[in-house]
Amino acid sequence: MPGIRAAWLLTVLVLPGLAHAETCMSPFVKRLEGQEKFLYVFCVDADAKDNDSVAVIDVHPDSPSYGTIIHRLDLGSKGNETHHWGYTDDRTRIWAGGLFSSRIWIIDVATDPARPKVEKILDNITEASGLSGPHTYYALPGRMLISFLGAAEGGLPAGLAEFTNDGRFIRRIDQPKEAPYGYDVAVKPALNRMVSSSFTPLRNYKKPLAQMDLKDFGSEMIVWDFKERKPLQVGKAGGAPLEVRWSLKPENDYGFTNCALDNSIWLFRGSKDASPPYTFKKVADTGALPADLRQTSDDRYLFVSCFNDNVIQQWDVSDPDHPKLFSTVSPCVQPNMMHVTGDNKRMYVTNSLLSTLDHAGRFYVRLIHIGPDGMKVDPFFNIDLNALPTGPARGHDMLIN
Amino acid sequence: MKLLVSLAVLIGSGSILCRGAEPSSRSSYLADIGPAPEVKLIDAEGKPFDLAARRGKVVLVSFIFTTCGGTCPATTFRLGQVQRELQKKGLWGRQVEFVSISLDPTRDTPKILTGYARNYQADPAHWYFLTGPAEQVARVIAAWGMWVKPLESGSLDHPSRIFLVDPSGHQREIYSLEFLKIDQVLEDIRALLED
Repeated sequence: MPGIRAAWLLTVLVLPGLAHAETCMSPFVKRLEGQEKFLYVFCVDADAKDNDSVAVIDVHPDSPSYGTIIHRLDLGSKGNETHHWGYTDDRTRIWAGGLFSSRIWIIDVATDPARPKVEKILDNITEASGLSGPHTYYALPGRMLISFLGAAEGGLPAGLAEFTNDGRFIRRIDQPKEAPYGYDVAVKPALNRMVSSSFTPLRNYKKPLAQMDLKDFGSEMIVWDFKERKPLQVGKAGGAPLEVRWSLKPENDYGFTNCALDNSIWLFRGSKDASPPYTFKKVADTGALPADLRQTSDDRYLFVSCFNDNVIQQWDVSDPDHPKLFSTVSPCVQPNMMHVTGDNKRMYVTNSLLSTLDHAGRFYVRLIHIGPDGMKVDPFFNIDLNALPTGPARGHDMLIN
Repeated sequence: MKLLVSLAVLIGSGSILCRGAEPSSRSSYLADIGPAPEVKLIDAEGKPFDLAARRGKVVLVSFIFTTCGGTCPATTFRLGQVQRELQKKGLWGRQVEFVSISLDPTRDTPKILTGYARNYQADPAHWYFLTGPAEQVARVIAAWGMWVKPLESGSLDHPSRIFLVDPSGHQREIYSLEFLKIDQVLEDIRALLED
């Protein structure tokens, strides 16, 4: 049966390995072939007087406009607190959302990657799902899974919901009563496990920092049966466990989170023989307010942006129980979101967290080169988001294309 | 999902095990993603095919093209493995059928599709390889949220999704080839058939 043998070989050869997968996004998202040409930055108009926008930055090294903003997509409304976003599984669209408005834009980035266009605006997701504050946009095959920060009226409980790629509501997924807060979600398909984390709902994050209730933040993490979307275990981490980063090796049943109010990294680890199956423990103290957590595709390093200490840390997590600080850089004041390329050589950085939490008023996009001896800030790549025609913009989440 | 409101058992060390309420049906974990779009094309024997006529059976729908050097051979090969498991369990044909729709109908004539199916030991009685006029096929592709784009290499770019359709004609799961587990597909099919 030569045909079958050929197909078997193709099966082995065609299915992509994880060695060079772009990290920190759903494993169901199509891989980016070759080096990125465009960097998309999701921007909040800093004084909320103009519309929120997407900045398109040319990052193709051979391009004459390398390192400049080549296009801005006007999102048509203001005061949304545009925050996080994510690709659909086929990488043709970005789902992007506002934390204040609970509005979602479906943006076409396939027709002309240099000039993305709004394909559809979803103004009814709170009505459809009973949830507010859409946060993480996680691609599933043909669908989007979204974690929300709170209930419809801006309080608790948070939850998750699924939509078709073109925006039709499919279902809501409730969290256990013991874990009412929501933030990030990430799936480990090889283990049929999903983990979600905790932050604070709209009633709290919409307030200025000085008025926020620090007791109104969660510290729970939920382990789910992914296939059944069923909670299995609620664990406790430090205050406000934010990003969920599974180890990228299929066989590894562990991952990390950054606890923003505990200034720490926590490890969650599963064991088939233990009851409860997952343990949660602090494995490293970081600088103040670790806001984002990223990883390399070889599972060796974690990157932590310390929003209040103005540094980014690179941790060697070859031994996940004992992370070792490997290098640090200070690319800008209040570094926040990071995006590591699939070849682990570059990391883009923005420096706005939330309009209610930012302690600096100058906003940039910087580039860090990652080498064998650690991180180095590129002195020539410095996107100034302060002198835009609409005034300063707070850049937050990023995606490459 | 109200049924997932949990009973919790505190078992120490700050962790809580969750025990969900019993689900309302065997397949309730598979959400209703929506009605399966219409598929009216021609099969590898040149006969008219209407997906709606397969109601009462579980159908796995995939999209492939025969000259693909990418994911299509792996998709068809993997589905062939599922077919053989279903045959062993006595579910094949009587309760479960497959549909593979060509993304390249101009080249994928019924004759070409017949040879392709034979190469993968696809049972022609219950695994339908479909083609048709290019415009008609394009409408079907778009209706399923799929797309196809010519590449500079002459090949075609497209998503790799496999759709699980229940006996009432609703999409209940979408699989990614990369993470498709045969045991899980069989479990999902069994769940749909038991309801």
